[in-house]
Amino acid sequence: MDLLMTEEEVRFRDQVRAFLDTHLDEGLKRAERLNSSFLADPGVGLKWQAKLNDKGWVAPSWPKQYGGTGWTLAERYIFDQECERAGEPHFRGASIKMIAPVIMRYGNDAQKGFYLPRILNGEDVWAQGYSEPGSGSDLASLKTKAVLDGDHYIVNGSKIWSTLAHHATRMFALVRTAETEKKQEGITFILIDLKSPGVTIRPIRSICGTHEFNQVFFDDVHVPISDRIGAEGEGWDIAKYLLEFERGGAFAGGVLRAMLTRLHRLASEPLSDGRKVIDDPLFMARFAEIATDVDANDMLELAAMSKVQAGGNPGSVPSSTMKIERSRIRQSICELAASILGPDALRWEEHRPLHELPGTSEIDEERKVASAVYFNSRSQSIFGGSNEIQLEIIAKTLLR
Amino acid sequence: MDLNYSDEQLLLKESAERFLKDRYDFEKRARILASETGFDAAIWAEMADLGWLALPFSEENGGLGGGAVEVSLIMEAIGRALVVEPYLASVLLAGGLVEKVGSEEQKADILGGLIAGTSRPALAHAEWQTGFDLGNIAATATKNGENYVISGKKPLVLGGPFADSFIVSARLGGDAATGPDGAIRLFAVPANAVGLEKSEVKLVDGSRASDLVFTNVSVPASALLDADADTLGEIEAAYDRANAALASEAVGIMDALMDATVAYTKGRVQFGKPLAAFQALQHRMAEMAVKCQEARGSALLAMLSADAPPAMRVRGVSGARAKIGKVSRSVAQEAIQLHGAMGFSEEMPIGAWFRRLYAIENTFGTTADHLKRYGEIIRDPAVLSGGLLREPVHQPA
Repeated sequence: MDLLMTEEEVRFRDQVRAFLDTHLDEGLKRAERLNSSFLADPGVGLKWQAKLNDKGWVAPSWPKQYGGTGWTLAERYIFDQECERAGEPHFRGASIKMIAPVIMRYGNDAQKGFYLPRILNGEDVWAQGYSEPGSGSDLASLKTKAVLDGDHYIVNGSKIWSTLAHHATRMFALVRTAETEKKQEGITFILIDLKSPGVTIRPIRSICGTHEFNQVFFDDVHVPISDRIGAEGEGWDIAKYLLEFERGGAFAGGVLRAMLTRLHRLASEPLSDGRKVIDDPLFMARFAEIATDVDANDMLELAAMSKVQAGGNPGSVPSSTMKIERSRIRQSICELAASILGPDALRWEEHRPLHELPGTSEIDEERKVASAVYFNSRSQSIFGGSNEIQLEIIAKTLLR
Repeated sequence: MDLNYSDEQLLLKESAERFLKDRYDFEKRARILASETGFDAAIWAEMADLGWLALPFSEENGGLGGGAVEVSLIMEAIGRALVVEPYLASVLLAGGLVEKVGSEEQKADILGGLIAGTSRPALAHAEWQTGFDLGNIAATATKNGENYVISGKKPLVLGGPFADSFIVSARLGGDAATGPDGAIRLFAVPANAVGLEKSEVKLVDGSRASDLVFTNVSVPASALLDADADTLGEIEAAYDRANAALASEAVGIMDALMDATVAYTKGRVQFGKPLAAFQALQHRMAEMAVKCQEARGSALLAMLSADAPPAMRVRGVSGARAKIGKVSRSVAQEAIQLHGAMGFSEEMPIGAWFRRLYAIENTFGTTADHLKRYGEIIRDPAVLSGGLLREPVHQPA
C-alpha cells in the first residue's frame, strides 16, 4: 500500500503540466474563475475543448477505439488533478460523461459511428432529459409519452432542469412507451434532435442569476426509431447505468483542492486596514477543518480507484459517501468564501457571463463572483441523486 | 499508488480480529480492569506468540518488519476490543523510539525483552507544562563523574504501571560543555531505580498510567540512548507514528459503534416495528456510516504519511487526528443516543467505546491542537495545493 506515482506517471504528469502551461491561456482561466455555474460557459468550454481535441485529450474516460485516451485510472486521476490545478474550464458535461458511455454500452454501430465523433469535436452538445416537473428523485414516475407511429415515435410532454439545453443540439431522454404495472418497465431511452419541430425551450434562471437550466416542451415531436437506444422498455436499466456514471465516474479531489487554494488566496489578500482574513483563528479553524475533509475524500477516491484497478467495485457505501461529501465540502468552501466578503457581499452584478465584463484584478474578480458561486453550490446536494437519496442507498446497505 | 490490502495483510487483520473476539470479550476486559494489576499477563504472552510485539521492528532488530499498514490493522482490532494492555505505549511509542535512537546493545536489551514479552518499556517524556509543545521539557540530567543524575516530574506516563524500564527525556545540564539549556536527551531508567517514585493513576477510559517523580536518580553513562541523534526530532516522529496508530484505533472503535448501533436498532421493537425501520433513524445511521468512511480515509492517509518528510507527515497525521476527533465524537454520541438508555449504562460496550474515543481525543494532543498544527502546515500554499500522490523515492544505487 502506498501513495507513490510510478516513474511513468511522473513523466505523464509533467507532460500534462507542460501542455496546460502552453495551451490553457489566461483568457480561458479567467472565464472559468468568473463562472458561477457547475459547467463552463459553452462558448468558453468549446474553445478549450477544441484545443484538447487537437491533442486527443477531450475524453480521458473513453476507450481509445472511440477516440478517448485509453488512459489508466491513475493517469486519469493525475490528469484531473493537473487540469484543476491549472484552472481549466469545466466543459465535460452530459455529452462526454453521460450520453457517450451509454452509446458505447447500449448503442448500435450506426449510432456509435455517428454520434461519438460529433461529441468529441463539439459539433453536438447534449442536454439531459431525465427529470420532469412531477418526477425528481422519484424518476420512474415520469410521464413524457412516446407513441410509436410507423418508423417514428411521437413525443409529448416536458423535461425540466435540462442544463444548458438552450445551447444544446440534442437531448437524451427517458420517455414512457407503455403503461405497465411496474412503472420502471414502460420506459424507453431515446435521442431527440432539439431542432425538431414541436420543441420549445423555456429558460429557468437559477438563484445564482445565471440561465443554465431549462424546461423543454415536446409537442408532437417526431423521433426516428433509429434514435432509440437499446430496446423498447429497456430505458430504466440504461438510466441506472448512466446515473452510476453521474455519481461515481469522476474525481472531485482536484477541483476541491483548487477551490480551497483559491479561497486561501482570497483570504491572504490584505484588507483595506491591512488585516488578512487568514490570520483570524476562527477563519483558519474552519478552513483547516474543510481541508481535512478534502484530504479524507481524496483518500476515498484513491481507495475506490485502487479497488476498480484491481478488478473490484468500490461498493455503494463509499460511492454514496463520496457523492454526499463532495457536495458538502464544495458547499462549505463556497460558504466560507462568501462569508469573508464584508460589504462586497451586498453588491450584485447581474451581467452574465461575468467574463464579458472588462477585467479588473484577480482578487476583485474573485470577490465579485463569490456570492453567486455560493448560491450555485446549493445545487450540489440536489443533482445526480440528492443527498437524501444517497442516505437511503447507504441505509439500505447498512440495514439489509 | 495502490491502496488495496495485500493478502498477507488481510490474513493479519482476520487473525487479529479473531484472536481478540475469542480471547478478549467485553466481560474479560471488565475482569482485567477490576483486577489488581489491570493487566493480563497471559494475553500479553499470546500477543508475543502471535508476533504482535515483534511486528513493527525491523528484522535486524529481531522484529517482523511490519509497516504502518500492519500496525494499523492491529490497532483497529485493539480499538474494537478495547484492549487495555499497553501495545501503543510500550511497543509502538517506547519501543519504536528505542529502535530509532538506541545503540546496538540498548536495542538488543530493551527490544529483545519487549519482543519476547518478558519486559516492557514506557516513554516518560511529556510534563505538566509540555502541552502540545514536545520540546517544552524541564527535567534535567546532570553529569556526575561517569553517571547522569536525573531529576524531574513525568505525569501520566502511559503503560507506566506495567513497565520495568522508562525511556526518560531530560535536558543535559550542569556541565560546562552543554550548559543549563542543554539538548533534550533520552535515558533508559529501570523502574526500580533508587529515587524514582511511581504512583498509579486511573484514566478516563478505565486504563491506568503512572505519575513519575525522579529525584536525583543516578544512571550510568550507558543509559544515554542517543549520543548523536536529533532526539527531539525523533521524539516528534515517534509521537506522530503513535498518533497515526491512534487514528486507526479510533477507526476500529467507530466501526464497532456502527455495527452495534445497526444490530441494536434492528432488534429493538417499538411502536410495533424495529427502530431500524424508522427513516429518521435510518438517515442518522447513514450519516454515521459517512463519518466512518471519511475517518477510514483519514486514517489511511495518516498511516501512509507516518514516515514521510515532516510537512507531509504533519499534514497526514494531524489532519487525521483533527478530522477523526471530530467525526468519531459525533458517531459515539449518536451511538449512545440511538441505543437509548442502554447506551447510557456501563453494561454495554457503547459507553466504553465512547470513553475510549474521548481519551484518544485527549492523548498526544487534543483535536484542537492537531487542527491548529495542521492549519499551520497548510497555510503554505505549496502544501495546500499539492495533491496526495508523491513522487517515487530514488534509492541511491
